[in-house]
Amino acid sequence: MVQGDDLARIIAGCKSGDAQCFSRVVDMYSSRCYGYFYRSTGNKDISDELLSELFVKLVEKIGSYKGGSFESWLFRIASNIFHDHLRSKQRRKKLLENRQEQAESEIPEPRQSDGELVDRLQSQLGRLDKETRELIMLRYYSQLSFKEMAQMRSEPIGTTLAKMHRGLKKLRLLMEG
Amino acid sequence: MDRHGPENLRELLGRFFDAGQAESCLDDFQEAERLLRQDPAPEPDEMLIANIKAEIAMRLPVVRAETFRRRLWEMAGIAAAIAVLTLVGVRLSHDPVRQTGYYASLIPTAIWESTNIAADDADLALFTTEIEQIKDEMLALESGRDAGDSDGSVAELEMELIQISSDFWKG
Repeated sequence: MVQGDDLARIIAGCKSGDAQCFSRVVDMYSSRCYGYFYRSTGNKDISDELLSELFVKLVEKIGSYKGGSFESWLFRIASNIFHDHLRSKQRRKKLLENRQEQAESEIPEPRQSDGELVDRLQSQLGRLDKETRELIMLRYYSQLSFKEMAQMRSEPIGTTLAKMHRGLKKLRLLMEG
Repeated sequence: MDRHGPENLRELLGRFFDAGQAESCLDDFQEAERLLRQDPAPEPDEMLIANIKAEIAMRLPVVRAETFRRRLWEMAGIAAAIAVLTLVGVRLSHDPVRQTGYYASLIPTAIWESTNIAADDADLALFTTEIEQIKDEMLALESGRDAGDSDGSVAELEMELIQISSDFWKG
């Protein structure tokens, strides 16, 4: 894992428009960001789209990065992209409901791409509400501290801790059940 | 994947829960993280990563051009701000109101408020001539050119100055 000065140099290169530096950032963070999207959405195709969107946004917004935790900044963009995806999904769902009166379950099971196997963790994650699922994945894949996560979510750290604890406890029960 | 920065989770939980609850929470956290580690998410396809890199390379010239334009606008803005500040500075240093105030403190009110410009000019000319004359006399005294009684000359000069000042301030 590249840290400190090396990361600062890579980001400075990105800011000056160096394609190699962007490539390094993609190599460094694609796995974790993809994990975050995949576990949050439960869908490989959507995760592919969201990951591409994330790095395009990174190119567009790198000029606005003013220092501090780069991971926190990157995962904030990732989280915004995920929430935008959820909102557009909600809109599509409403449209479908209007047209077909298609009832969907309150906690939808993750939809998989063709031929994709669902691991047990993904099945149980699908039984958590979206916000909790995303919170757990953000914590796990971004590796941010609770303080950073609370700042990102604009909520008190105690609230983030309590939500995370409830979510993890439920996930643990589901996995053990 | 358990780096999570330099935070001490036990200490953090201890701030919000009592000792027993904090330990239970910590246990839940650690166990859940163990479960997450057991089932790692799939890695992104190499093809996807290659496509992302290609897309970035394609977008970079556009982004560079936008960055250049933005910097140009920023520099233009800074240049405009400097120009405005310089202009304001120059205007303030040549502010006629301030200069008027300066002269008003020297010129007697009677002349200042008078509308008889011709008479005022004559008074000022007289005043200036007298000042020049006094200056010459002062220089003569300083250089020791005055052949007469020095004490008498100085007293005479002082009287003359008082007289001029009195006449002048009367307008």
